[in-house]
Amino acid sequence: MQAAAAKETLFTASGVEKSFGRTRALADASITLRRGEIHALLGANGAGKSTLSRVICGQIRPDAGDIAYRGKPFAIRRARDAIDAGISLVMQETSLAPDLSVVENIFLPELGRPGLPRFGEMRRKAEDILSRLGQRAQLPLDGDVRALSAAQRQLVEIAKALALESDLIIFDEPTASLSPGEVERLFDIMVKLRDEGRALAFVSHRLEEVFAVTDKVTVLREGRTVAADVATAKLTQTELIRHMVGRELSQIYLERAPSEQTQKPVVLEVENLKSAPLVRDVSFSLHRGEIVGLGGLVGAGRSETLEAIFGLRRRDGGAVRLNGKPFAPRKPAQSIRAGIGFVPEDRRRQSIVPDLSVRENLLLAHLGAHRGFGLAYRRRDEKVSELLAMLGLPADRLLDASMLNFSGGMQQKIIIARWLMLDPDVILLDEPTKGVDIGTRSSIYAMLRAIADRGVAVLIVSSDFDELLGICERVVVISDGMSIADMPSAVLDEEKLTLLAAPRTSMERNVRFLRDLAATYRGAAFWGLIEDEKLFCLKVAVADQRAAPGFGDGAAVDFAETRIPAALGAAKSQFVSEADGSLNTLIVDVAGSRGHAMGAAGLVLPHDTEPPDAGQLAAVIQAHYAAHD
Amino acid sequence: MPLMTDKERPAMAANETIGTAYASPPPRQALKWLTARLEVRMLLLAILIAVTLSFASPYFLTTINVLNLLDQSVVVGIVAIGMTFVILTGGIDLSVGAVAGLTGIIFGLVVPELGLPVGALVAIVAGGLIGLVSGVLISYFGLAAFVVTLGMMSIGRSLCYIFSGGISISNIPESLSDFVYTKVAFIPMNVFVLLVLYLLAYLYLGYTKGGRTIYAIGSNAEAARTAGLNVVGYAILPYVVSGALSAVSALLLAGKILSVDPLAGNLLELDAIAAVVIGGASLFGGRGSIIGTLIGVFIMVMIRNGLNLMGVSPFWQGSAIGAIIIAAVLVERLVSRRGAR
Repeated sequence: MQAAAAKETLFTASGVEKSFGRTRALADASITLRRGEIHALLGANGAGKSTLSRVICGQIRPDAGDIAYRGKPFAIRRARDAIDAGISLVMQETSLAPDLSVVENIFLPELGRPGLPRFGEMRRKAEDILSRLGQRAQLPLDGDVRALSAAQRQLVEIAKALALESDLIIFDEPTASLSPGEVERLFDIMVKLRDEGRALAFVSHRLEEVFAVTDKVTVLREGRTVAADVATAKLTQTELIRHMVGRELSQIYLERAPSEQTQKPVVLEVENLKSAPLVRDVSFSLHRGEIVGLGGLVGAGRSETLEAIFGLRRRDGGAVRLNGKPFAPRKPAQSIRAGIGFVPEDRRRQSIVPDLSVRENLLLAHLGAHRGFGLAYRRRDEKVSELLAMLGLPADRLLDASMLNFSGGMQQKIIIARWLMLDPDVILLDEPTKGVDIGTRSSIYAMLRAIADRGVAVLIVSSDFDELLGICERVVVISDGMSIADMPSAVLDEEKLTLLAAPRTSMERNVRFLRDLAATYRGAAFWGLIEDEKLFCLKVAVADQRAAPGFGDGAAVDFAETRIPAALGAAKSQFVSEADGSLNTLIVDVAGSRGHAMGAAGLVLPHDTEPPDAGQLAAVIQAHYAAHD
Repeated sequence: MPLMTDKERPAMAANETIGTAYASPPPRQALKWLTARLEVRMLLLAILIAVTLSFASPYFLTTINVLNLLDQSVVVGIVAIGMTFVILTGGIDLSVGAVAGLTGIIFGLVVPELGLPVGALVAIVAGGLIGLVSGVLISYFGLAAFVVTLGMMSIGRSLCYIFSGGISISNIPESLSDFVYTKVAFIPMNVFVLLVLYLLAYLYLGYTKGGRTIYAIGSNAEAARTAGLNVVGYAILPYVVSGALSAVSALLLAGKILSVDPLAGNLLELDAIAAVVIGGASLFGGRGSIIGTLIGVFIMVMIRNGLNLMGVSPFWQGSAIGAIIIAAVLVERLVSRRGAR
């Protein structure tokens, strides 16, 4: 860091307030930005980060508050004023014109000025800017922006800010769609801009990045600045989180009751469910009063599995049994009447009916389940008051004309209550905390727990593995449309879940490799994770039944439960004989192409087979895993 | 009107505290509630127009003229009911005028053989069937409502000429005229039918599963489908209602002039859509009311009638109606924008 003494203050905002309708986005926000500093603007979802950054660059006019720029009071009336003053915003979803060329986009604000544009000069200036950033090779100046990657588009945005000679540049969640390498390059650029004496604001919720690149931090919570202008180096991650959340993070998840689901009756059974193209082979079962997670990467077929169960998506194969009876709904109304509820991922698009009142939105699934000509709303009056008490919502809010006035968290709770209205046996939830701020999440978790305690079987899809492990008793892992593991959360952590969920495209090669290995040496081959006397098996291939190691795909077993405890315990890169001499096993630690651990691979041979050279074989196995990623 | 994008909504809404919403004192609140109701605003506009016209022309508020106004409201008013149903789902029905013409011709052709009641039934069923075809094409096959009903309009009008031979049919039994002008509780039967149909439509849209489903489809069909509502069936129904009601209005028109003409109902769709829009419905669906539509019909008829009484050239009437439509939508947009901020 340079001499922290006298950095020139470029921009200050204090006491900024802004409301949209009844919702208060900013209550008392303040921020100070200086030349030669990268300033992090942090906060949970809905804390007002984006609103404040749009106030700074003049896209939103605040209701109250003092703003000073270059030491003078600054009233920004239009976005143009901010551009002329040298303030730029580099946005998460870029504001580029996809059909114009890179040069035209860089000088788009110039095109808004009178007179004819001079393309030759623009081109020269653009080349100048990019070489100054050391990124000349990254951008084809004459190509259409449409063809660029997310990182390249962002570079165009940055160049656009520099073309305006901006002194103050705000980066609004710039790393959201970048790969790690691209993030590094962006940080290099940001540091360069800082060293040129510009003031930078960096809006993000990724703490590691904040520590990596920023000098100062301002934290917003519920529209207020709760920590202003703190030196990044003086903070720890936990302190930052405490500022953002306002309390200890660990309290978010409730204590899990010890799982005793085995005694509880099975409500929903899914067997080899298939729904082309994304759901290929999914099996699991749900017990009464149990919360089960469906984990996997985006695009693995999780949402589609829920939709296929619920009857929103055609099934191509497999069977679903509800309370022991075959269940094959052709439309949602049938599932609803059979006792299944479904909270889809996109509230605004799939759940909320904006022109109906809150009450009618709450009663919408009732209407779907109801047979008859009238409404029969009265029949649910008692249930409505019960649910209102549960939501903590005063009765007069029921008559609110639109649900859109509520926070994301309350909207979600109303949608969940819509299904509870019908006393379902099973409730399916797709990303239930999407767009819900951290503070409100815990109340949704509590609500789900309460639902389960009443005997409802709850199935949750979530991309947030931490959340999944925090609230679910069991997690079914789906990878590329297939359920590959079904394990209690207690034996999982985020890392293992991530590895289990790894897309099958990489898995498929490994499976073929394991099969070849088993066939070549007439034994069994497996791939898994070894830790604390436990093995998580990702895949087994058995060519000779005598060599079967005693565990299957997706199993989590203690060493003692397998047929090869000695070999697993030894974990040396040579063949190990079991105590009874029945099996010879070689176990090798494997790593991916970037050197990250990918677990262990093993070959199990019957005692009468002559083991090959361990060192050579280990090298072959390791080379296979390192070769692809 | 996208005052804010969906992306920013959750962010803004997060700080919402419950219970602070109704801080203003009760009387002002009641007034606010009243002015917030679209129907109330449109009713005020209608009264304003009526008062203005009664000053402009001494004949405007005479009993005869008021009965005349009601009589003139019947045909477009009944068609506007069906149009409201359709527009609430987010659709449009351009074929109503042609369907009215065609069902009128069908009625004129079959009534000598089948008699009045059966003839009327045939016409109404024919109208409903045409609507069913449009509805299935739009809802089940997912074609654009504008295109399907434009095609139906063209086919309907062409069939009018084919069935009638291009000339009007004037063998309508006089008993139909007697029926149309029978007094029921001091009002003619046709006006009575209009009011009863509006009452039924009001009850249906507000208090039945089908009615609420129609609103939900127009507001967010995807959410309605997920909640188990029959979005295909209830998106077809409005077109059937619209077709059948076009036939009803054709019958009442035939009773009035005792003949059916292949050109009857020409441009009726535009009047009906105008009435629905003046009545405050959103062409994107989900928003609007049947009471608003009735007021919209009255506003249109009053202006036509008033301009006639004042001796304004009929050439100017289109301009007046057009200006009212645009003004109504503009005022609505300005008012609701203020409300949303």
